[in-house]
Amino acid sequence: MTAPASRTIARCLPFGDPRHLEAHQFLVDEAALLDTQDYDTWMSLLTADIRYVMPVRVSTARGAGFDTAPGMAHFDEDHYSLSRRVARFATEHAWTEDPPSRLRHHVSNVRTFPLDHTDDEVVVESAVLLFRSRGDVREPSLISAGREDVLRRDPTRGAPSAGHWMLARRTVSVDESVLRTQNLAIFL
Amino acid sequence: MRDQASVLEDVRQGMIPAHIYNDDEIFALEKERVFGRAWMFLAHESEIPHAGDYVVRRVVDDSFIVSRDESGAVRAMFNMCLHRGMQVCRAEMGNASHFRCPYHGWSYKNDGRLVGLPFHGEAYGGEEGFRKKGQTLLPAPSLDTYNGLIFVSLDPAAPPLREYLGDFAFYLDFYTQQSAEGIELVGPQRWRVKANWKIGAENFAGDSYHTPHTHSSVVEIGLFREPKASKRKEGALYWAGRGGGTTYKLPPGTLDERLRYVGYPDEMIARMRATWSDAHLAMVGDDGFMVSAASAFPNLSLVHNWPKVEDTESDDVTPFISLRQWQPVSADETEVLSWFAVDRNAPQRFKELSYKAYLMCFGSTGMFEQDDVENWVSITSTAAGSMARRLRLNSRMGLLADDKPVSPPLAHFSGPGVAYVGFGEYNQRAMLRHWADALEAPPPEEGTVDLGGTS
Repeated sequence: MTAPASRTIARCLPFGDPRHLEAHQFLVDEAALLDTQDYDTWMSLLTADIRYVMPVRVSTARGAGFDTAPGMAHFDEDHYSLSRRVARFATEHAWTEDPPSRLRHHVSNVRTFPLDHTDDEVVVESAVLLFRSRGDVREPSLISAGREDVLRRDPTRGAPSAGHWMLARRTVSVDESVLRTQNLAIFL
Repeated sequence: MRDQASVLEDVRQGMIPAHIYNDDEIFALEKERVFGRAWMFLAHESEIPHAGDYVVRRVVDDSFIVSRDESGAVRAMFNMCLHRGMQVCRAEMGNASHFRCPYHGWSYKNDGRLVGLPFHGEAYGGEEGFRKKGQTLLPAPSLDTYNGLIFVSLDPAAPPLREYLGDFAFYLDFYTQQSAEGIELVGPQRWRVKANWKIGAENFAGDSYHTPHTHSSVVEIGLFREPKASKRKEGALYWAGRGGGTTYKLPPGTLDERLRYVGYPDEMIARMRATWSDAHLAMVGDDGFMVSAASAFPNLSLVHNWPKVEDTESDDVTPFISLRQWQPVSADETEVLSWFAVDRNAPQRFKELSYKAYLMCFGSTGMFEQDDVENWVSITSTAAGSMARRLRLNSRMGLLADDKPVSPPLAHFSGPGVAYVGFGEYNQRAMLRHWADALEAPPPEEGTVDLGGTS
């Protein structure tokens, strides 16, 4: 995925910038929630208009102009569909994660980019490497991906989260065309 | 190699030696005798709509370029250069007028013809030394289509596809011919699971019994009205020709009311009426059965269901169709290729909601599929050991000890084949009978293709 011109190296916030530090902390805090499958808390960090997308990557010739499967994604979620997925994990019959996987989301390569039109949103790029181990027999699986997020300050006056960063958009660019994990009963 | 006769005998009795789900010798036989002969799904014509469009797909270990040539014809060509065996196409999809081998630069038109051979004159003495004219990438030994679904067989003597499918073709129409123009196939999502390929194929063919238990969570979260045990066992299980499947019994009503119940808008219902045969319409409208999961031997499956996909007060549901292939990698690993299918003439809004329904239910993130795969991986790893060689799994549901059915087949069912109502493993047994027959038959002749140049 090629980053647009607005996110050149020159536009990247210095690592000492408070907005970058806050964005970085958001991602690390979020990773801890995803590792422990604390999805109720995770959902509270998502805006009502969340878009959470993980396109299907395909191998194409250099210069083909695309590297995702047209019209298809692994995840293409809004708040409702995410809420159903999370609600399912909370039932006693989501067998695929009972016993739960041992998960570790390694988050790195964080860069934060300001937007011209607003101070209440930033674009954050990161890399994530998910280690997933199930049971005591199977080989663990790894999922490597880049992420491009839009974080937005919660504009809801009076809410406990008012002024805090929330996740409004996430595009997960997975680094395999054929995933080597039994399913995506996890989030990245 | 072990004598498999007793294994096949047990399978035909509905007692399945557990090790067949993870056994290298069985897998070697399957490669030769099942996948070396059967009609294997590769792609749908809608995936390569324009001249030059191609996708690269496999039949187990063999890579094929499925392309639409300049004349509009669909080709399936073995993706191996005639010279040193390099893959001439290393992308998964795209559009190309030619494929040029990166090794020595031999190049082929998108219909497979060898058109470029560097230093043909100097190196080979021209046509006298290597007859370039008429050479093509090896075509798949047999290629045929049904409703735009492109299949190949590695057996040059394969019967016509329609004959191979037999009356299962009737049921394929429900999924792939809801209007005269048929479906668009989108995807696939691809992922690897440590499960034997047969488990998914059997499950989709007839396992209505697992739905209420394995998938109870999707009912609990309000996504579905249907997969309750009481609803599931009212459905008919049919087997016809080379495939079989499960259905749901719809509430009483007319044909239109029943199709609306599943979530089809009236304009799509009108096209179904204009496209389907009287028997198709009667199966839904008179008998009240709507297709759900299905499999065609050996490894193509389909599913149709109708979840709630929007956060509204209403009970509105949207149907979706998925087509998937259980592509074997080894005895204990399968690559799943899962596509979303939708009628080409469906309204845009319907296509969007149906895609959403697919993603929520099936595929790499699907909430049904997640729990299925957990089971299948566990079965496969447990089938690898010595104890599994001592265990014959009971797959006799629906049969009494004297092999008579627990309840007789339906006296009246508008679709072809044999149908039962209630739980029973009729279709899983039918699937494995085809499997046993295939393993028993001698392998097809391979033959060779003369490339010229030597005599």
